Amino acid sequence: MNRIYMDNCVTSQPAPEVLAAMQTYFTEKYWFPGSFISTGEEINTVIEQTKQQISHVINAKPNEIHFTSGGTLANNIAIKGLATAYSERGNHIICSVVDYPDLLTNAAFLENSGFEVTYLNADSDGFIDLNELKSAIRPTTIMFMTTIVNHVLGTIQSMQEIREILDHAGHKIYFHADACQAFGKIPLDVQALGVDTLAISAHKIHGPQGVGALYKKTGVKLGQIIHGVKRVEELQPGGINIALIAGFTEAVEITFSDFQQTQKHLRDLSDHLIKKMEETIPEIELNGPRGEKRAPHNVNFTINYIEGEAITMMLDMQGITVATGSACASQGLKPNYILMAVGKNHMQSHGSMKFTFGRYNTNEEIDFVVEKLAEITISLRKRSPLYKSDK
Amino acid sequence: MQYSQKVLDHFMHPKNVGKMDAPDAIATEGSPACGDQVTVYLKVDEQSHKIEDISFLSYGCASNIATASIITELAKGKTLEEAKQITWRDAMEALDGLPPVKVHCSVLAADTLQTAISNYEIAHGLKEVPDFSKETIVEELKKIIYPQVGEDIVSLKMVKYVGFTDGEVLIDLNMASFDTWRENVAEEIREHLEKYPAVKNIQINFP
Repeated sequence: MNRIYMDNCVTSQPAPEVLAAMQTYFTEKYWFPGSFISTGEEINTVIEQTKQQISHVINAKPNEIHFTSGGTLANNIAIKGLATAYSERGNHIICSVVDYPDLLTNAAFLENSGFEVTYLNADSDGFIDLNELKSAIRPTTIMFMTTIVNHVLGTIQSMQEIREILDHAGHKIYFHADACQAFGKIPLDVQALGVDTLAISAHKIHGPQGVGALYKKTGVKLGQIIHGVKRVEELQPGGINIALIAGFTEAVEITFSDFQQTQKHLRDLSDHLIKKMEETIPEIELNGPRGEKRAPHNVNFTINYIEGEAITMMLDMQGITVATGSACASQGLKPNYILMAVGKNHMQSHGSMKFTFGRYNTNEEIDFVVEKLAEITISLRKRSPLYKSDK
Repeated sequence: MQYSQKVLDHFMHPKNVGKMDAPDAIATEGSPACGDQVTVYLKVDEQSHKIEDISFLSYGCASNIATASIITELAKGKTLEEAKQITWRDAMEALDGLPPVKVHCSVLAADTLQTAISNYEIAHGLKEVPDFSKETIVEELKKIIYPQVGEDIVSLKMVKYVGFTDGEVLIDLNMASFDTWRENVAEEIREHLEKYPAVKNIQINFP
């Protein structure tokens, strides 16, 4: 039985084209970039070409792309780098309670290092409060950071409005965006977004794990966070796997060669799942917004009266991989912080199921998953003291 | 972290599951806020005090369902006196163990069984409602599992001091400042003690 995988927002299956593109850099061309000798020069050329390709899809310049060992590295280099580079201008940073853990843990670190952080609240669909943003800005605010697509709810933040608020702040506020969930799912144009730095990653778009990139606008300064010998990149010294960079580029190629089709495929799958679930399973709630303000690959439902770890286990036994926001499935035994931050109660969080799609998912898979999920829901509700069968 | 085959069997095919019509005693422990809730129903023979029938309902994860299932299996056909000896350790053993972070599920299941027995005994005049004292607190603390290792905090000597005066509970815990389970443990303790009407305030101190 082939496994049905619907957890693509965590990581996705590397495309065969990606594996093929990497092969030669593991076997024959296993070199680092360098000057004057042919091996190094050849890799130089490869990196230049890949930067050309990646910069093109986000409307950046090739020399504004910097490879890293993943999205988390890119976020760290940007956030700590901006904070340290501009600390003389002020010590205030703004982010929100619904940001990705990369941003929140960096914010906590900076707080411990003497910065002040304002955490904006979000509404019930996960949109950050823009009035709060306006009033949070101080003369000492040096940075605003946000997660463009929420990793739990699929909420696409109102980037245009955010940009306008920052543009009218009266002084320069550096703008970092985590786009790991957004890249390859929604159009991203760094000029239109008005960001100074932006983090993306390969393995969420069928590229290899362990490689990402940081966009850094020309002229923006970053304090050096990681120190060592420059092999591939100034911002992340040491080795960065060239094969992974080649694979990343191929993943970009297959995602963006017909980007409208990529988006439509994901949106159609989500629409199909939402429709099927709402037709088939009673007493469920969609978490996050409906329609265009939701990323096309993300569906998150709470199945009331039952608990998500039990549901995911039963689906797993049927060969289906999905995610849950239940505390029982988390390492720290805590309910999902995003769902709690947007006002869901414990039961809604424990019973939340997240389905995230990629290019290999099909409507047939969705039909099978909903059929199994409907059976599991009936079975677990029969056991649940919270479910009143006379309803 | 992996479940044993026995846990999976009891999770997929739980025994004695369902609401009981006209039970002789009921108990519910836990809450959706804790992430798990178990209800146990008992039918008890008035003469022999044997548990003639037992069933459960569970809101919770796989191990929650499995531990509730096994606890009903262990108690069925036993006298109340015999069933009172069943602990969470027995449930764990019968399931070939649980991952450390899931041990608290077996405590909840055993606890619900014991409360159901106690409710029966009180309703049938077999015992008085017990007074709340420092000993009650210590007994409750023995049910708090440190998720890192799957042992209770009393056995692990994490409880340095327990005090109880005029409804004020004071507990000193020996947990390092970098211990990420501090909050979980404190929350568990509150959930266990807040259900007693005698408890007005709970203060938990860390070094």
